Amino acid sequence: MTNSKIIALFLIPLALLGCSSTTEQSLYDEIGGHKTLETVYGVAVTRIYTHPDIGHYFKGVPKRHLRDQLVTQTCELIGGPCEYDGKSMLESHQGLDIKEREFYILVEIVQGAMRDVGLTYQQENRILQKLAPIKYETINL
Amino acid sequence: MTKYLCLALSLYSMSTYAGTDSRLIASGGIAGFEGTAGGGITPWAFIGGYTSKEEVGYGANIQLLNLNDYTLTTAGASVSIFDRVELSIQRQKLDISAGLTSNVFSLLTDGAITNANSTTIGQDIIGAKVKIWGDGVFTQDTWVPQISIGAQHKRNRDFDTSLLLPDGSAPLPNIGVPQLLGATDNSGTDIYVSATKLWLGFPAGYNLLTNFTARFTKANSFGLLGFSSENDDSYSTELEGSLAVLISPTTAIGAEFRTQSDRLGGLAEEDTVVDVFVAYFPNKSLSITAAYVDLGNLPLQENSNGFYLTLNTNF
Repeated sequence: MTNSKIIALFLIPLALLGCSSTTEQSLYDEIGGHKTLETVYGVAVTRIYTHPDIGHYFKGVPKRHLRDQLVTQTCELIGGPCEYDGKSMLESHQGLDIKEREFYILVEIVQGAMRDVGLTYQQENRILQKLAPIKYETINL
Repeated sequence: MTKYLCLALSLYSMSTYAGTDSRLIASGGIAGFEGTAGGGITPWAFIGGYTSKEEVGYGANIQLLNLNDYTLTTAGASVSIFDRVELSIQRQKLDISAGLTSNVFSLLTDGAITNANSTTIGQDIIGAKVKIWGDGVFTQDTWVPQISIGAQHKRNRDFDTSLLLPDGSAPLPNIGVPQLLGATDNSGTDIYVSATKLWLGFPAGYNLLTNFTARFTKANSFGLLGFSSENDDSYSTELEGSLAVLISPTTAIGAEFRTQSDRLGGLAEEDTVVDVFVAYFPNKSLSITAAYVDLGNLPLQENSNGFYLTLNTNF
């Protein structure tokens, strides 16, 4: 195969995906703002609290509190009009010795909640992109 | 083939009872045709399967690549340890049709011998990969990729297996196909460095995987045609790449390339390998990948292209 053919082969999938239009609207507004995040984390928090492997970390933490924290933090990260003023992630996870495995379980719960609430796969990925770096504020401390 | 299929099915049925590891789905790639996790033809920096730092996982695979007069069947197993180390073992079997071996003798003897038996070239590959830097999935705030280094020790099983004529005679005793084409060694070790990054939400909300691999090798056609040649016994650097887009949580499409050194030249001239693929990950225990592969020249088959199918299980 010639080099130009090889290059073309690699550019086709990118070109196809690049065709979608881009708008100025923030991701926060696009998914339906505060109300949608409330629903997503309502679902997620219930699943987190009842999960056999990670539920115990939240004993004594009011559900409403965790839900508010997650909503505010995500809102800020995806361009919404919020400012997260809770304890820093580093501070609140210090000393808990959270396992990487447990972090992944939480990610899948949040992914699942976004999917079940009706966000598109693309919206889910873009939100995950913003949330992903939090991994290193919660484990390996 | 049936034997391999049964093996894979029994491994898969085991896996349904085993615990599922926790990394995100599709982030382990597939076992390539050399047994190393990544794309079909090139290693990635990601450790195979879905193990986290606290988990150990196992994988098994069978693969088939049909290239007209050549058919490559491979099968193997791997273990992934703490998302840090991946060890693998793979056996490859390249079947070469009687039509091709007959042509080889016809060329060698100026048409005096025109009929030979089909033959097989086997190869075993022991692989080891170590993640040395980064997290290609979760450090989305930087462009820094995950980096791994690895080795594939390859031993050709038919370097000196005689080609036979239909009457059972061997006109070239103890000279196998690799030697006949000019290879001088029956084994070699490839060393590679891979840099891999998953770009979440890009482009247009999908997830893009980019991988580059540099391989230092003495292999001729992956080692299936032996290693080194009379006048070239030094390592060459080959480049490989993968580009894949996750178009849904369970489906990836993509393309790959891999350059080859072409030490033997002549009949065994090597071209850049290219493939396009669709990989389906219905769950973390199973993946099925179909690809169209273009290998370019193989001895006496100038345009070698065809379909590749592989079944992977994790448990």
